[in-house]
Amino acid sequence: MVDGDDATAAGATEQVRADTTAGTGRRRVTRGLLSCVAALALAPVVAASRPVPPAAGGDSFDETYRGRRIQGVRLREAGRSTSEDDWRITVDGRPLHLMRRADGTWLSMVDHYTSYRTPLEAARAAVDELGPGQRLRELAPGPLDGALPDGVTDLLDRMGVHMDMGAGTAPGTGMGGRHGVRA
Amino acid sequence: MAYVRKNVSALTATERKRFVNALLEVKRRGEYDEFVRTHIAYYAADGETHLRTAHMAPSFLPWHRRFLLELEDSLRRVDSSVTVPYWDWTRDRTTTSAPWTKDLLGGNGRRSDQQVMDGPFAYSAGHWTIREGVTDGRYLTRDLGRAASPIQLPTKDDVSWALDDPVYDVPPWDSTVTKGFRNKLEGWGTGSGSASWHNHNRVHRWVGGTMLGAASVNDPVFWLHHAYLDMQWERWQRAHGSHRYLPAEPPGMGDAQHGRVVARHEKLPPWTETPDQLDDVSGIYRYA
Repeated sequence: MVDGDDATAAGATEQVRADTTAGTGRRRVTRGLLSCVAALALAPVVAASRPVPPAAGGDSFDETYRGRRIQGVRLREAGRSTSEDDWRITVDGRPLHLMRRADGTWLSMVDHYTSYRTPLEAARAAVDELGPGQRLRELAPGPLDGALPDGVTDLLDRMGVHMDMGAGTAPGTGMGGRHGVRA
Repeated sequence: MAYVRKNVSALTATERKRFVNALLEVKRRGEYDEFVRTHIAYYAADGETHLRTAHMAPSFLPWHRRFLLELEDSLRRVDSSVTVPYWDWTRDRTTTSAPWTKDLLGGNGRRSDQQVMDGPFAYSAGHWTIREGVTDGRYLTRDLGRAASPIQLPTKDDVSWALDDPVYDVPPWDSTVTKGFRNKLEGWGTGSGSASWHNHNRVHRWVGGTMLGAASVNDPVFWLHHAYLDMQWERWQRAHGSHRYLPAEPPGMGDAQHGRVVARHEKLPPWTETPDQLDDVSGIYRYA
């Protein structure tokens, strides 16, 4: 369960900081490639009204579950409400990206079609699905929420699409008509 | 002249071979991994404030329709006779039925590590190394039926429950809606556990392994699954002729979903078509 030990929590935070820094570095590089990514990062418009998460389970956890070390820490951002807090999770030191559903529940990159009440439950469910000997990828491809994963730009280039995630405003030429889709 | 997408269980031996070979060639060319990355990149959840296009949103169906067309286009550049078959999981329900045969997608993963060991997509066959995965495993994994806590595939009744809803989607257009064809088919339920997994989501979970994660496209059954869902959208359109994709207009400035979903006449990233333009594909393909 939740571990309140200060030293452990600090350790988890340190690890998480390292992960965050790496992520920012990647983002910076990608931003240089495509200016629209900056627009993407600014894209969040109206904050969703979301119910308070059920049993969030404190600000951090650090446990061994089925032989794997799960660590998590809540990252508070200025100007955001508690329900919008982000979590940084690692399994055996490798980052596990979580996403939030509108009902306040969480899903992970490993288990993408089911959501769980808390980040800890989502992390345990991810461990349940990790086969023996499999580890999370250190630099796994990620969702497009502010950073373009490596290679996606290649696909978009190939498709002739100029990135713009804004609905209804994409100026790209794309492949429209190639399939004879009715205009 | 529209081409035909067939039931995978009805493919001839030659059709199976050509479909598999086209997939392997698209993978060899490096194009397949780009599809995997795109699907990961466009998975946005509705608890975040980004635009959602592929999941937990009305455009779940047109987004995957367009994505399938893109893959089919790649396959047909390799072999113009190939189309994406569909897997009717309401009929082919066992771990040994189509498409889980050696001449198609191969079978279940082995118990120890879920690794698929037979068929053209087994790692040991040498043509299907996973490069864009969530884990550092290089092999395809499956856990058909979920051995540790078995579940069943959705039934005809489950699909009918979605098809019988005459309304395409309802506000707030996300994973919490309990009405509307789109989410009944996409399958985000309320509560937790097995009872909350419907149609599309439930099939991802039944296949398990690679299909359960963000990189589910790595299992080629992804396309057969989504072709069947696409077919249900067409059935729904025929059954409810006066009903269309919703929302017809973008949610307004004061709406919490403003800027977060794609309306009927807005472009659907990363493409430039609108859901309206993807509504009728009868000139491109039809289902047999």
